[in-house]
Amino acid sequence: MTIRSQLVIFASVITLAGGALWLRAQEARGPVFRTRVDLVVLSFTVTDSKNKYITGLKPGDFKILEDGIGEKISTFAEGSNPPVQVNDDGSVRPLLADGTGAPKPGIDPRSDAFVGTNVFVLFDTSNFMYRGFVYAEDAIADFIRGLDRADSIAVYSFSRNLSRASDLTRERGDAIVGLRQAVAGDDTALYNSLLLTLRDASKVPGRKVVIVFSNGPDNASMVAPDDVRAVAEDEGIPIYVISTNEVNKDPISSSVFRRITARTGGKAYWAKTWQKQVEAFESIREDLGNSYTVTYYPAPNPNEGFRKISVEIVSDVGKKYRIHARPGYRPRT
Amino acid sequence: MKVSSVAAVLLFFLTTLRGSDVVDRARQLEASGDVVSARTALAAAVEQAPGDVDALTEYAALLERYGDGDSRAAYTKAYEAIEKTGNRAKLAPVARELALLDLIAGDRAAALKHIEAYHAAGGTDWPNVAGWKTAEAASEARGVVYVPGPLRSFGRMAAIPVDTSPDELLPALARNVVTNGYQASHSNESLEQTEYLKLVHRYLSQARELEDLAGKDKVIRIESCDSANAGELLRIVGYRMRGGCGSEVVLETVNATRAFLTTDSGFPLAQLEQALRTNRPFTYDFHPSPVRVLYGPDYWLSEKEKQSGEFIDAFLSDPAMCRLYLGLSKLDAETAEELRKTIPMPRLKAYAHVLDFFGTMFEIRNGKAIVPGGARSASSWGELVGVSPDQGAAFFDKLIAKDDGWMASLFDALSRMNGPVKDYLTEPGRMKRFYMAIRGRVTSPGPARPVFRSNADMMLLTTRLRVDANGRAVIPGSLEVWKNLFINHPNGKYDGKLTKSAAGWKDPDDVVEALFALCRKSVENEPLKIFMAVSDVDRFRERPLEAATVDRLVRAYHVYGAQYSIFNDVPTVSDKTIVQFLDETESISRMKDPALRADTAGTMQALVALWQIFCLQGSIAPNQADAALAGVLAPFTQVHHDADLFEAGKAGSVLLLKTAGASDVSAPQERLLDLLAGTANPVDPDAHAQVVQEMNRILEAQRIISLTTLFQLDDHLQSLGHGGKIDPALINRLTSRISEIQLPRSSLTTVEKNAFAFGYWTEKHVETERKLNLRAAVERAGTDPEKIKEVRGLLAPFLRDTLVSYSYAHYAPPGAQVLYTNPLFVRGHDFIGVQGAYHTWKNTELFGTGWPSNGGGRLVGSLSGLPYALAEAEQNFLVPAQTQALIWGDLVPQLILSAKIPRWWDVTPAQMHWVGVHMRYARECMAEAAIDAETRKAFVEALGRHAYPARTLLIERLLESGDVPEAIERVTPAELYFAALRMERQQTNKGEADPVLADIRQLRAKHASEVSERAVSRAFGTPKPTLTNSYRPELLELRTFPTLMGYSSRIMAESWESNTLYWAGLADELHEPPAQLNVLIPVWTEKVVEHIFASHLEDWPALLRSLRQVGDDVRAQAKLQAGEAKAALQ
Repeated sequence: MTIRSQLVIFASVITLAGGALWLRAQEARGPVFRTRVDLVVLSFTVTDSKNKYITGLKPGDFKILEDGIGEKISTFAEGSNPPVQVNDDGSVRPLLADGTGAPKPGIDPRSDAFVGTNVFVLFDTSNFMYRGFVYAEDAIADFIRGLDRADSIAVYSFSRNLSRASDLTRERGDAIVGLRQAVAGDDTALYNSLLLTLRDASKVPGRKVVIVFSNGPDNASMVAPDDVRAVAEDEGIPIYVISTNEVNKDPISSSVFRRITARTGGKAYWAKTWQKQVEAFESIREDLGNSYTVTYYPAPNPNEGFRKISVEIVSDVGKKYRIHARPGYRPRT
Repeated sequence: MKVSSVAAVLLFFLTTLRGSDVVDRARQLEASGDVVSARTALAAAVEQAPGDVDALTEYAALLERYGDGDSRAAYTKAYEAIEKTGNRAKLAPVARELALLDLIAGDRAAALKHIEAYHAAGGTDWPNVAGWKTAEAASEARGVVYVPGPLRSFGRMAAIPVDTSPDELLPALARNVVTNGYQASHSNESLEQTEYLKLVHRYLSQARELEDLAGKDKVIRIESCDSANAGELLRIVGYRMRGGCGSEVVLETVNATRAFLTTDSGFPLAQLEQALRTNRPFTYDFHPSPVRVLYGPDYWLSEKEKQSGEFIDAFLSDPAMCRLYLGLSKLDAETAEELRKTIPMPRLKAYAHVLDFFGTMFEIRNGKAIVPGGARSASSWGELVGVSPDQGAAFFDKLIAKDDGWMASLFDALSRMNGPVKDYLTEPGRMKRFYMAIRGRVTSPGPARPVFRSNADMMLLTTRLRVDANGRAVIPGSLEVWKNLFINHPNGKYDGKLTKSAAGWKDPDDVVEALFALCRKSVENEPLKIFMAVSDVDRFRERPLEAATVDRLVRAYHVYGAQYSIFNDVPTVSDKTIVQFLDETESISRMKDPALRADTAGTMQALVALWQIFCLQGSIAPNQADAALAGVLAPFTQVHHDADLFEAGKAGSVLLLKTAGASDVSAPQERLLDLLAGTANPVDPDAHAQVVQEMNRILEAQRIISLTTLFQLDDHLQSLGHGGKIDPALINRLTSRISEIQLPRSSLTTVEKNAFAFGYWTEKHVETERKLNLRAAVERAGTDPEKIKEVRGLLAPFLRDTLVSYSYAHYAPPGAQVLYTNPLFVRGHDFIGVQGAYHTWKNTELFGTGWPSNGGGRLVGSLSGLPYALAEAEQNFLVPAQTQALIWGDLVPQLILSAKIPRWWDVTPAQMHWVGVHMRYARECMAEAAIDAETRKAFVEALGRHAYPARTLLIERLLESGDVPEAIERVTPAELYFAALRMERQQTNKGEADPVLADIRQLRAKHASEVSERAVSRAFGTPKPTLTNSYRPELLELRTFPTLMGYSSRIMAESWESNTLYWAGLADELHEPPAQLNVLIPVWTEKVVEHIFASHLEDWPALLRSLRQVGDDVRAQAKLQAGEAKAALQ
């Protein structure tokens, strides 16, 4: 592969999921140049019949299909390991050395920019959460401490409005300081805030997930959960929800949580007690550490609507495994 | 200006001009509007010739005229250069300007030095300036108490902004206790504390424990993880250590109640945890915080309370004390002191609610009460109250105790006004008559009893009433119309007594009296709303409305009243067209098929909304407006089927485009967007293109079918009827777009769906569109003209959406998250609404907030309130910079509205500079007021027309003490502007030597029509849909309103006129072209909203702080860019 094509892939990974290149410095004034790249990011986990994670699989073990059309994997990563570039023959090579020595304009030159996951925690501080507020903070703080060193974390809180308590950082202490500064609020605009969190997450290069910590009822959002889910689906951002309510107490919230997590490749947990919350976070952390992330450029496909994604394991033994991935996405128009 | 142009100017000046030539040339450049080049030239000239007195002076004056922060430094250089020459004539004006700028900068010593130099150089004004004493303000009447721990922690728990000063803390706390601290008890009639107040008490208790732990030096010190007091600290804050001391230690909750207080009050828990993990000392300053108490704590506490505990606990436990504290803190120091001395505290406490709501305008000067109407009305006030105003405090004592607050509310409403209407209302005979009407026979409950003031209607009436040149009230139409309304009351009875008395009405005063009488009722005051709406329609018309038209408008108001702003915005609409509009709306309302009715109403309203925008933006000339509206409406008479509707929509669109000057209508969507973005021929193509691009993005997100495509399809269908062939590409374009229209979010479960209350017809509208198979329909139709007409009718729902989407895109708030996320937001506009509620013509409302009731919020009703509803929908997407942002509600939509409805394409540089230079002149006047008593008197009088007495007096005292920066800090941009206008008119004797004043006069001489009161009001005013029934931007010179019951806080928000004036001044200072305001103001406004950190709805200083912070950020950014540009040049 030529240096030029390496650069193309490097730039493409920066813009992951066809997202816009975020040139913060340019936002202040003057024209903003955006690059559209139809690169799809897909994260998934593989488990066996006992729900144990299967790790150590290689790019060649997977077949990715979009509406039944086979796709060629561009990059591949397992857990928090750095992604590798997948060659035409299925071999892999390190992705990050661009060979020129000079960083490209607007591209973060850090070699580990794409290592680990960017985790956005969205913490409900509305009055519905008043009683469990401090226990929730403890559980989130524990989760932050236990994240892989390569992961970055942002802590947002919300009630009627979103509050960016701590921007994306690898400094666990900063994130916890932000978390501990959260203030109890009033109304709950969960889906408005989730939307804004997804918008922030979509501007960040690399793999990202959003973890919502809430008890469910929303009384102030303007946007519908499924409109927000569509944004997550299209941006390739899995949503995890930890509900502090019991599953049967609020069936409407429960069914929505199930829907938005399943459709984006995340999971929903019902954890009323602190112990259950800790367990839920542990499970999410395991998901992050044991998941695979691939990127690919979709093959020509006339379907401009929802495209169904399926991930298969090529080998016979793999047929017994369960693959948990988002079911599809809607291409940008 | 581009760097290359600046360089060219620079080169030209440096190589060709010298000395006075530069000054002349710079003046010419400035006069031509090229301020940047003028400034660059002068800057270069003074750099090259540092001793050139003329260039230095001219440069300094130019900087001053544009409010540049470097002007003082420039004047200093000029001063030093002149000093060397010994030219006294040139030194005097420079020393004078410098003295004023010194004071504005807060440098009193330098100011004294320059005043002395000014006098030494022959300056004659400002004799006897000896210096200034420190402002004592109200501090002499205050004592101090302490709350435990840092103020910011207490503030967080008590919902008070962190930047509240010790002086302002107790009033803010009192307000929160009054409004949020107590609720009716479930078990008996007493009040019980709310959760908010319980938390404040619990916090105080915890803070006292921490204070004890902090010991004598009031600093919490934990030396190491295993220190003895570490455990005690953790117990107090409700946490414990998990894991042994060292890197594994983690703090976890052990007592949730205490832990909540700890975290919610902002205790540095994370830092404590970190210190324990690293085994380093933890220190936390826990000194108690001083809080100033009006008159000292002893005034407020009973003997028992003095013995038993802390002031703050007694304060929190007594809502009546808080109410009185709030009331007294709103008064000016002189008045409050008089009341305190004269009226015993228990009596004041008993009427604290009246004092709180209606005492703000009370003023006692030299022992006498200032009353509205002045000397002419004083004896009437004396008779009404029972005590002469000459008795000052005794007068107000009686006033607050009178009739449960009705008279005080009238006093308050009349005190807020200025001008001929005030003269009319305070005429002694009328005043008594109107008072009796508002008072009624049964006075209880009074207007100060509810949570918000219930005299909203009276405030509205007194603010918007019109009087003619003869001082008589203007009654639209004729007296008969209003008699008829009260006697026959077509939509329900108003008042039996008034119905009887109406038959005998002979005078306009009779109508006004009836309106006053209705103002006291707590029910919906429809007659007043009708009167206000119709008066506003009549207000700017060259010929008043005919009585028959008024009668029609009055009778139709109940259903169609929300539409009247259309006629108000465009006063050239004829009576005939108004009647035509009402006929049309009634005819649409009679349509039996709800789907066709919704599409017809939507299409017509969308076209009228476009017409309204084009008229407001000047794309349709006033003399063409009437014909255009009549032309748009006419085809709707013929609408019986979808095909007729499509025809009417298309004809209306083409007519609007042509009237607005778009000669080429082959690409109607592109032309429409050009016009919506301001004009078809923009003066600033970049700004214009940006606005168009933003609208296109919204249309794309909403999957809107282009008007161009729809019209092409229609033309094609018509051609098929004449034997043409099907164009598959064209049909596919529509089909492809239709496939992108998503289902309404029907993934809701049965339970969720059961929560639906309305929206059936909206869902049906979207479903119908999705199911359309145009190709099959065309094939079925063949060449049969009738069937082809039916096929054309299938496009009608799409045309409705397309036309409606233009208004949505035009008024889209900054960010527009809803429009970008919910692709059915425009299609989901519900023109039918709840059955039987006549939503079709009502104001736009936001329904379905909070997802369980709907698949996302949607807008219901007509398009008349669309801008506000969109802003309301978007406000919660703004991310506050501070975690506790309390000034939200109705204020933010109004701020967004003021940034989106007015457009500044036609604003001239002279108009923008006019505003900017006036605000600078006001600051200069304030500096001069610190030196000169006469100027101070004049300025304070001008300010008092808009500011409340308490603030006016405080500013006067600050000026007296020479603290000009503090005084300026307390004046709003609107007050600065209006005060400057007044001061300039009065200062006829001031010489042309003052560069700012000279600039104002030059602007007036050269651009009289551009800078007329009306033109500036139109250019930099704000829309006030509730107050004026219009979206036309206007400056009303209002004193900021309080929150009023019945209108939420919309009227209050509309009384804030400062933002646009401030932005105009800022843009002038930065030499931005006026067209850029169209792009900059929405962005700046969004930032202002995000930075507001207020404690209550009327916290205007918080808004002012945010405004200034954004302004400072913008200035800093501009300075940075200028530095970079300069570096690039070098």
